[in-house]
Amino acid sequence: MTEMEVWNNKRELGNLSEDERKIFDQLGLNESSRRKFLKGISATSLSVWAATYFPPEVFASAAAALPDNPIKLVNEVKVNLRINESVKSLNLDSRTTLLDALRERLALTGTKKGCDHGQCGACTVLVDGKRKLSCLTLAASCEGKEITTIEGLAENGELHAIQKAFLEHDGFQCGYCTPGQICSSVALLEEAKRGEASYVTDDLREITKDLTLSEEEIRERMSGNICRCGAYNNIVQAFKEVHSSDDEMPTWEFATPEQMENAKSS
Amino acid sequence: MKTIKASGIGKPIDRIEGRLKVTGMAKYATEFPVENKVYAQAVNSTIAKGEIVSIDTSEAEKAAGVLAVLTHKNAEKLKAFEEEMPELGTTTIAPVLQSNKVHYYGEYVGLVVAETFEQATYAAKLVKVKYKEETPDIHLDKSRAKAYKPTESSDFSRGDMDAGMAAADQTLEATYNTPIEHHHPMELHAVIASWNNGKVLAYTSQQMVDNSTIVISDTFQIPKKDVRVVAAFVGGGFGSKLNTDRHVILALMASKKLGKPVQLTVTRNQMFTNTGMRQHNEQNMRIGAKKDGTLTALSHETLSHTSTFQEYQEPCGNVSKMLYKVPNNLIKHRLIPLNFQTPCSMRAPGEATGSFALESAMDEMAWKLKMDPIDFRIKNDTQIDLSEERPFSSRLLIECLRIGAEKFGWKERKMEPRTNTNGNWLIGYGVSAASREAPYKKTSSKVIISLEEGKAIATIQMDATDIGTGSYTIIAQTASEYLGIPTEDVTVELGDSNYPVTPGSGGSWGAASYCNGARAACENAIAELKRKKNIPEGEEIALADLLKQNDLTKFEAEGTAEPSEEFEKYSVFSFGANFSEVWVDKDTGMSRIKRMVNVGSAGKILNPKTAYGQIIGGLTMGVGMALTEQTKIEPNFGNFITRSFADYHAPVNLDMANVEVIFLPEEDKIANKMGVKGIGELGITSVAASIANAIFNATGKRMRDLPITPEKLIMAKLEPGVES
Amino acid sequence: MRPFTYTGAKNKEQALQSYSPTSHYLGGGTNLLDLMKEDVERPDQLIEVASLDYKKIFQNDKGGLTIGGMLSNSETANHPEVRKNYPLLSMSMLSAATAQIRNMATNGGNLLQRTRCPYFFEASMPCNKREPGSGCGAIKGMNSLHAIFGYSDSCIAVHPSDMCVGLAALGATVEVQKPDGSTRIIAFDDFHRLPGSQPEKDTNLMPGELITAIHLERPEFSEHYYYLKIRERSSYAFALISVAAGLQLKGGEITKAGLAMGGVAHKPWKFKEVEKFLVGKKPDESIFEAAAELAMKDAKPFEGNTYKVEMGKKAIVRALSQAYARKS
Ligand SMILES: Cc1cc2nc3c(=O)[nH]c(=O)nc-3n(C[C@H](O)[C@H](O)[C@H](O)COP(=O)(O)OP(=O)(O)OC[C@H]3O[C@@H](n4cnc5c(N)ncnc54)[C@H](O)[C@@H]3O)c2cc1C
Ligand code: SF4
Ligand code: FES
Ligand code: FES
Repeated sequence: MTEMEVWNNKRELGNLSEDERKIFDQLGLNESSRRKFLKGISATSLSVWAATYFPPEVFASAAAALPDNPIKLVNEVKVNLRINESVKSLNLDSRTTLLDALRERLALTGTKKGCDHGQCGACTVLVDGKRKLSCLTLAASCEGKEITTIEGLAENGELHAIQKAFLEHDGFQCGYCTPGQICSSVALLEEAKRGEASYVTDDLREITKDLTLSEEEIRERMSGNICRCGAYNNIVQAFKEVHSSDDEMPTWEFATPEQMENAKSS
Repeated sequence: MKTIKASGIGKPIDRIEGRLKVTGMAKYATEFPVENKVYAQAVNSTIAKGEIVSIDTSEAEKAAGVLAVLTHKNAEKLKAFEEEMPELGTTTIAPVLQSNKVHYYGEYVGLVVAETFEQATYAAKLVKVKYKEETPDIHLDKSRAKAYKPTESSDFSRGDMDAGMAAADQTLEATYNTPIEHHHPMELHAVIASWNNGKVLAYTSQQMVDNSTIVISDTFQIPKKDVRVVAAFVGGGFGSKLNTDRHVILALMASKKLGKPVQLTVTRNQMFTNTGMRQHNEQNMRIGAKKDGTLTALSHETLSHTSTFQEYQEPCGNVSKMLYKVPNNLIKHRLIPLNFQTPCSMRAPGEATGSFALESAMDEMAWKLKMDPIDFRIKNDTQIDLSEERPFSSRLLIECLRIGAEKFGWKERKMEPRTNTNGNWLIGYGVSAASREAPYKKTSSKVIISLEEGKAIATIQMDATDIGTGSYTIIAQTASEYLGIPTEDVTVELGDSNYPVTPGSGGSWGAASYCNGARAACENAIAELKRKKNIPEGEEIALADLLKQNDLTKFEAEGTAEPSEEFEKYSVFSFGANFSEVWVDKDTGMSRIKRMVNVGSAGKILNPKTAYGQIIGGLTMGVGMALTEQTKIEPNFGNFITRSFADYHAPVNLDMANVEVIFLPEEDKIANKMGVKGIGELGITSVAASIANAIFNATGKRMRDLPITPEKLIMAKLEPGVES
Repeated sequence: MRPFTYTGAKNKEQALQSYSPTSHYLGGGTNLLDLMKEDVERPDQLIEVASLDYKKIFQNDKGGLTIGGMLSNSETANHPEVRKNYPLLSMSMLSAATAQIRNMATNGGNLLQRTRCPYFFEASMPCNKREPGSGCGAIKGMNSLHAIFGYSDSCIAVHPSDMCVGLAALGATVEVQKPDGSTRIIAFDDFHRLPGSQPEKDTNLMPGELITAIHLERPEFSEHYYYLKIRERSSYAFALISVAAGLQLKGGEITKAGLAMGGVAHKPWKFKEVEKFLVGKKPDESIFEAAAELAMKDAKPFEGNTYKVEMGKKAIVRALSQAYARKS
């Protein structure tokens, strides 16, 4: 069967592989909307959208097996990477960063490269629960560590509370810094629980657990994730909703007819 | 046509592609699974002007995994510019590696392709280039004599400037500088380029897909139909991805040579030199006013730079010819060719920088007149665009100012600087007015409707892009509105040159153009389905029933929208007002934005949630422009000493503060049928002025050179007349 | 990056034995990998030491605190002992970089982070620190971020670390393991060096020496402390100028002072004379101003960084005032 036939077959029957099912779970599409979705996608857009959603090896929340790199490498290192609760054994160039291993070898492209020099936060992942920059981490140093990427935050199709809050509060625009912002937020929830301090903490000597972070605290602690689109205010609100059940929403309003009348040029 | 209306336009629905973004599944340029791809890394010049004497690629070629090294010696011939100093446009060809000449520091001089990213980046360092260096022109100040009037001149005058100044009771002359800035979208410019049997497929991060195919086909001299460009998700652009830059061409050259797809990512460091910039503008302002605040004269003269081989001009003065009622007006713009890359449009080109000068100068004048700066602006309001001598389609600037003042609590502002303090903080309030042209361009789209389990579902296709602007969402809302089906039943497919042509995302025309394009296709579909069954146009009937009556399970229609003749008779602009409260530390000179109020009158708001995003995004970039962002030039070598994201300070979360946004209810039907105007650039316009004005109000220091950094504030003197 | 072999050291012995003059120890990698990508650092072997077991914090026999060399900056800054007794150190560390970077950065690596001088990073520019003998681009170029104290004709770079400014104010020693397995203790003031004619050398560490601990003196500034950092954006930026100020007060008099400045010299700049001057004085604004004048009297700025003198004075007054103002 050609790629197109496979696709059409799926479209008609809704026959999905396990991995594809997971994709739909992540997308939040249930059985009937799945079929609708498949129909809704046009044949011409197949290669773009199918590629987005469908190559099973691409969707690798469970770090699916990619063909191992056949290229002869200098200074090859063998690393067992435990990513999103599944282990993948890779032969890598010793120079490979965790970021490039994720993106280029494991097709886990959710983790983004924004600078490759530790200056933007787009590549933030969780290593043993702590937020770290994958662009300045050598993959070789990750043996035995538990790595969680954006692809591993949702469980059984249920988004992480932070992911949901970002959606609801429009905590992004282009979406490129978003995985980093989300991983960072997830880690920050725990840092606050542990009572960790920041530069803007008033008195460092006062140590309390389960902190409720002020807006200034949240902004300082999220300053390691640059959002060039400038979605900061919504990111802060999204974080607050999960962190302190603060349900404040974006602060726009429409001027009332009365306001308009009063403001008219006299 | 409103039989079912779950969520049409105007509703603050969540972004329809949002789930893909929060799960990391949205695919940006280099994330498409392309088999057998190899990796490239570009090599940059390390001099600002001169010639390549020799290039030694032998060591690079020997390095492990290296497949090819391209230089001007072995690169294929590409289309060359036909004239000297051509204007840079979004369809301008992008020839690269065509000669041994170097025009600026960082110009591409080679490309290394290898099996892996690590191999390519390493081998690129092994390419050895010898130069014959010449003294570059890198100083605006020292090259004034070379200033010239651009081919496409933006000069303008009305009345008599000198007479206007002479008639004034109070005059002001001041010069404002905005530094070189960089767009720095978070997604690095990148491409996976495949050249296969003469056919091109490029997954690339671009704002304008159709123009991108034109650049590629023109540069390689191949038919446009053989070029396919895909930009399904674009990680920000802000103008830098309007042009199809040379890395795209480089990657294609390599792919053509190797017969394999080539992935090339421009590094953050290269994004300082190879993907455009906003140039340094020196803006000289002169204003004359009567005691009562009536403006008698206004001039706005800009000096900036372009490259030595291409012309780009940011029309800074445009805002000063239309914003206020002033009889005597002079606008000039001169360019100096310098040895830097060609600048290009950056968010609100002209307005963002021009309004900093104009709206700072207006604030200075208000202070001289001891007049409230809002009253001063209102006094000089105009409903006629004096530069075009035609009315504005709609102009609610006064409403923006007044409603904003009310919301912000402008009454509490102290006229005298340095009188509002809190501990070590000096507190200031600032205001500025904003205007941004609201263009609208010819746009086509296709709608595919099908019947699924008795329900009508639809897919909209167009080559539009969503660069964070919310295009996916507002197009779905538009289709929902005009087809009468819930937004959930609309799929939107964008960013593929196989789809109907749109103008792409830029110049704030995206929302108006895309949505009207989608509307046209939907209206055509409905009209045709009705016509077939002789159903009167006005009759309400559900889309599903319409399909059933036609005995169809699938139906496609295309549509094109374009500006009306009426449109040409008016000046169509969005207007706004910015209010900032800024706290400045009296000792450290560090500033903190405390809150901002933004009022916008930008036509029909399609989705207040995504529109709000556009506004706060603009405000954030405006804060960066005012306080943190600048690219500095090395004075001896002509490279940018600001060379990384650690040196170039894009604002971080803590730099921002509470923002309140008010949209005015406005439907400008002259602008277009849906009454939509642009908002993506209105947000950044004049923000820097409102902050600089607030800093004056806080400190008594008039900061005319951006950005307003602690070191500048500490060294600045009080403005004459301010009490310490 | 240039090719290198990767050695994950299991213990101190293996790390020391694997060492050769062309290798580098790898801590969090936040500075080293950045510089390797820039082709500034070019080791042929990386010996990972961040996982070695020097991660404890404990009371030492001199009444001070010992901090493991491989502990992360964030764990150190947040350790209850550090927060309670050395809040000045916590504050300086927390002002640096971002949560992500502090989670990665080790204490040992932080001491050895290299200058942010843009010429140093740009391989095409002259820089004596990167390439001895190539000249210093900054002296006649862009020097707004550069030194006003202690520089030489060959280099005017500044040390970028915030933590080190905190340590300089507090007083500390650094414990290193020599390649032969013996231990050496270096006074903090002797750890970093001035550029002199050898700007390529940032510190007095000998090749192969492994930093395993930092010993802090008995806590004296736990109540009156402040770390002031002036920078070009409100977070995630290196300091233009920073000041670590610690005061000990008894009966309304200063009994001990710790004062150091960052962003002004090739090493954290400790104002010993000013520290002495403050002792016995009653803290008030005018004394702090006198201290600031004294501190900055020998500053020799360049064309691009004259602002640092004025900023430095204001920063000292401010940091001392804030430290004093803390309610104990
Ligand atoms: C974008 C960015 C912003 C930053 N901002 C700041 C800031 O504002 N303030 C600030 O103070 N810092 C800042 N930093 C710097 C950061 O604090 C340092 O990079 C970090 O502390 C270095 O620690 P590391 O463990 O990662 O060192 P590494 O990068 O691993 O190593 C640095 C050097 O130390 C050597 N080394 C490491 N460990 C040992 C050891 N135990 N014994 C002997 N040698 C060793 C290495 O060989 C290398 O030469 C920033 C960094 C980045 C990337
Ligand atoms: S100041 Fe030092 S680090 Fe900077 S260019 Fe000069 S020698 Fe190099
Ligand atoms: S990509 Fe890692 S911090 Fe920017
Ligand atoms: S959403 Fe675009 S950079 Fe943050």
